[in-house]
Amino acid sequence: MEIGRHRPVRREYYHVSQFAEVCERVIGGGSFSRDPGVGFGEACRLYVARCNIPQDDVPLFYSRLSEALLHKGQRQEAVECARIAFDLRPQSEGVASLCAWVFSNCDQPEAAAAAYERLLEIRPQWAEGHRHASGSFAVAGQTDRAIFHGVKASDLEPNSLEFALHAGGLLQSAGNSENALDYFTRAAEIDPRNSTALRSLSAVQFALEECEDAVATALRAVRLAPDDHLNSLHATELLLRSGRLDEAADLILAAIDRHPPDEVALRLLSAAQMLRGRIEDALDAIDRALALAPEIAEFHLHRANLLYRVGRLEEAAEAFDRAAALDPPNPVARRSQLTAYFDSGRFTEALAIGGELIRTSPDNEEYAQALLHVLNRRFETLDCDYVVLSDRALQPRREPRLPPGFFETLQTQLRVIHALIIRETRTRFGDSNLGYGWALLEPILHILMLSLVFSVMMRGRPPIGEEFFIFYYTGIIPYHLFIHTSTSMTYAISSNGSLLQLPLVSTFDVLMARGLLEFFTDTLVAVLLLAGFGAVGLGVLPHNLSGVSASVLVVWLFGCGCGFINAVVNAFSKSWDKIWVQLTRLLYFCSGIFYVPGMMPDWIRDILAWNPVLHAVDWFRSSFFQEYDPHWLDRSYLTIVAVLTLLAGFGLERGLRRRLYEPL
Amino acid sequence: MIMLDGVSKVYRTRTGRKTVLDNVSVTFEAGHNFGIFGVNGAGKSTLIRLLAGSEEADRGVIRRYARVSFPLGFAGTFHGALSGSENVAFVARIYGASIRQAIDYVEAFSELGEYFTMPVNTYSAGMRARLAFATCLAIDFDVYLIDEVTEIGDQRFRRKCVDAFRERMLRSDIILVTHNVHTLRQYCDRGAILSNGQLALYDDVATALSQYHRLVQESA
Repeated sequence: MEIGRHRPVRREYYHVSQFAEVCERVIGGGSFSRDPGVGFGEACRLYVARCNIPQDDVPLFYSRLSEALLHKGQRQEAVECARIAFDLRPQSEGVASLCAWVFSNCDQPEAAAAAYERLLEIRPQWAEGHRHASGSFAVAGQTDRAIFHGVKASDLEPNSLEFALHAGGLLQSAGNSENALDYFTRAAEIDPRNSTALRSLSAVQFALEECEDAVATALRAVRLAPDDHLNSLHATELLLRSGRLDEAADLILAAIDRHPPDEVALRLLSAAQMLRGRIEDALDAIDRALALAPEIAEFHLHRANLLYRVGRLEEAAEAFDRAAALDPPNPVARRSQLTAYFDSGRFTEALAIGGELIRTSPDNEEYAQALLHVLNRRFETLDCDYVVLSDRALQPRREPRLPPGFFETLQTQLRVIHALIIRETRTRFGDSNLGYGWALLEPILHILMLSLVFSVMMRGRPPIGEEFFIFYYTGIIPYHLFIHTSTSMTYAISSNGSLLQLPLVSTFDVLMARGLLEFFTDTLVAVLLLAGFGAVGLGVLPHNLSGVSASVLVVWLFGCGCGFINAVVNAFSKSWDKIWVQLTRLLYFCSGIFYVPGMMPDWIRDILAWNPVLHAVDWFRSSFFQEYDPHWLDRSYLTIVAVLTLLAGFGLERGLRRRLYEPL
Repeated sequence: MIMLDGVSKVYRTRTGRKTVLDNVSVTFEAGHNFGIFGVNGAGKSTLIRLLAGSEEADRGVIRRYARVSFPLGFAGTFHGALSGSENVAFVARIYGASIRQAIDYVEAFSELGEYFTMPVNTYSAGMRARLAFATCLAIDFDVYLIDEVTEIGDQRFRRKCVDAFRERMLRSDIILVTHNVHTLRQYCDRGAILSNGQLALYDDVATALSQYHRLVQESA
């Protein structure tokens, strides 16, 4: 670079038009090229040195250069030069003024603000300067300084509408509505026909809760400039907020008629219609708004709420979904969607959304509660999305049933006892393959074994008849019937406790079922054995069948009576059944089973004659063998004892029924 | 319709006597579903058993102008040594229902497969519950008594229960004890509150619920 060839730049020539060449030299352009290793600042310094520019003129040189660069569109370099100039000589009004202008135009609001403040130190009453400084500070985000200069500007020049509006706007956006009111009032006074000033004033009045004034001012603005759309929107909003719904609706409808409808106006119309309770109209308006601006989350949210209000839950859920998709960080739509799904019975979807909410905001208690609510509802057994009661209204009514009469009750009871007997036969030997067969086989084997033993031991003829088998049989059958009946009934209640929870099943039923089953079983055993004896040639048929039947029936009744008493006593004293077993063993020896009482000494026989079972055995035998007719046999004694025992058993059972088992 | 006429019931516990009903006369009218509220220990389960007839009142009469069920899902009637079908036959026999129909219904409904002909004591708890629920539905009751709905089976089976129950409820009434307000609102059109030996009936669930909340707040 041939620096030496250039003549020095003279001070009197420091004019913008002459800097074109300088610019090319320092930034490289035209026929000049800059060394690539030399920066812009360095190039400037070199130029200043080579041209011998006097020290005093350097700031001026830089500021002029900056201006020229800006004109050429070299904003970065212009700013750099302006900074150098301002740093070198901030006290110069000319430099500061030029720098402020460069900075303002190059998006350097902070530097511009500093330059304006510098200028204002020199000319403190310069209203326009304050306005510029305020603007720069506002852009730089220093609200306090911006307000300070804005207010100062308007105060210095109170007749400027723009200054007043600017100061009011700054104060309002800083939340200082009271002071903003002063400046907007000033603006409205400067030009009472300016609707923008009126609108701003109205907004501040509303913020200060002077609602009526605010609405009046807003309506004045509308009257002044009915074609200004913003005035209509603003007035509508204020009318809505102060509850004048019909006026708001009329105003916004008029505005929509006058202008091509825009989404904000339609959104306001929808709000007005919603507040007036015209949900369908509100839905129509928001649908139109969404046709114009389909991507606004708030619109979808509003529409979803409207749908929810009219009960179109599924559509509401979809709309909430769209709102949430458009504005993912905002959980409000998702939360509402959960409610919509929940109320429309789609718990699975509600659950999924609840999970999503909890994932994104794990600490939100309200969401946790909502999710819990859904979970509870979800896992109810009989949850379902239907209304039973409304369905039922369509069905014909049932005829009321009369309470069951005597025969019906009896029929039910017989049915229950029948069912219990069948159940008993299936369950008594439940784990054996033979099942009920065991109930028959067991006493048959028992009788055969003992008959064999006695026939061997006693040798010769039995006391009555020809065969020990028959003799022993006639003793053991009535005894067994009594023992089996009374013992089996002892456990009827304790082993059927849960069954008694069934309303139709009473303690009487379970007791009678067992008693009857024992009767059938032992009778069958007796018949089978007799048939068996007949088959092997030991056959003896009873000479008095009705006597045999009567004795069997009476001893069974006696067994039932004892069984009832046993069951009741056993319910209160759990060891009674053990005592009863010992008593039955004693009875085996006292009832003349393997002997006849006639073989005993009289005094022993007189004692044994108190035993009802002994009478039962002898009654049975006397009806079986024609030659046997003992004089001590008293059939009426056994009958009376049996009836009395039965009555006592029935009475005990009936009286203590409620306390015989524990309800579950 | 179930009429209670001067009914009193005292429940004996280890800690002493608890009055469940004290000279109560009310009528559960036909054609309505009743939801019974009551704080824990008020005797709601005892009341259900009284209505069923599983327990007898100490004084007074309960007249049933309807065939009232045993509490829904009660599995106590099942004998472990009997098969599912034998147990169903027993219940059908007791209530005089067709045994064949009842067995066919339960077999299809309970989805027990070959377990249906095996002893009940080989069943899991869930299988027993399914059998119990199906057995209760197999009998055509006029009034179903439900004491605290419990979980049965998986979601699909529950849905099936609900559908079956819905079909049954078109003709039958229910009297329901539950703590779940949603269930109550869904099934019941009338409410009843059991407290301090008194049973108050209300014509709608909402009134009963608000009364109940007041009661709970007072006692708290």
